[in-house]
Amino acid sequence: MMVWLESRPFAIAIAESSWLFPIFESLHVLAFAIVVGTVAIMDLRLLNVANRDRSVSELISSTLPWTWSAFAVTVVAGFLLFSSKAAFYFDNGPFRLKMVVLALAGVNMLVFHFVTGRDMVRWERGAPPLRARIAGALSLTFWVTIVAAGRWIGFT
Amino acid sequence: MLESFSNWLAATALSQLFASTSWFVPTVQTVHILAIAAIVTAIAMINIRLLGVVRRGPDLPHIARSFLPWVWIALAVLFVTGVLLTITEPARELQNGTFWLKMLLIVALVLLTLLVQRSVRRDPGYFSSTSGRRRLGAAIGAANLLLCAGIVAAGRLIAYT
Repeated sequence: MMVWLESRPFAIAIAESSWLFPIFESLHVLAFAIVVGTVAIMDLRLLNVANRDRSVSELISSTLPWTWSAFAVTVVAGFLLFSSKAAFYFDNGPFRLKMVVLALAGVNMLVFHFVTGRDMVRWERGAPPLRARIAGALSLTFWVTIVAAGRWIGFT
Repeated sequence: MLESFSNWLAATALSQLFASTSWFVPTVQTVHILAIAAIVTAIAMINIRLLGVVRRGPDLPHIARSFLPWVWIALAVLFVTGVLLTITEPARELQNGTFWLKMLLIVALVLLTLLVQRSVRRDPGYFSSTSGRRRLGAAIGAANLLLCAGIVAAGRLIAYT
């Protein structure tokens, strides 16, 4: 399947062009920076470190649309980069780590939205409870790991 | 002159120590990228508000107060990690046109951001008092967003030029 993906015309175009890969890479980094930055805004609020004057739900509703839009751009650009050397990335250790931790970050977010954060209205104006702080700390740890693993791909 | 400086720097014990430590460059680059995430997001928050396209949420003085400190902290981290990366591979940066383009764009972004910071501190309503000021704010906001995107792109392109 990876070989099939690599042989798609767009994948060949990216692999053969000297400027398409760097352009998509710049776009990937720029959009990814917005993802990590906006996620960190929410995590730091859950940890009661920053933005303490804004309620958690207000912060989430004003930040999350930016996170998702930027994430969509990151994934599309990332997929195009991946397609140019699909078999290489698929077998690459740091790439696999990055995907696993990305999934963990997703699970952590779902658990917060549907379980630990459901009673948010009770505490969202003040200091979040321990379970919400743990969600924030885990999220920050996952995203830092994703950045590190992503950068490591370039050195393998 | 740049060439002799970068050759001298590459021959220093510090540069050779960094260059021969395999984890050094990826680790410093990871910290550099995390600081990029902080500064890009803070710059985006401030300048999207200045641009005037989003009207919900806190006003400009409020956004500036919460996000400007992150801009300066991240900039300091970027400077230190950037210097470490330059010491490790001097020719890759100092003898690269894209690197100097990036530095030029950074100077422009920093000067415009300082201008915004000073204006809003002196008069919180500075960019909303007249339609001329609103247009000025929108122009600065647009310029800063473009500069920020250009800086990230130039930074990544250093590896290819």
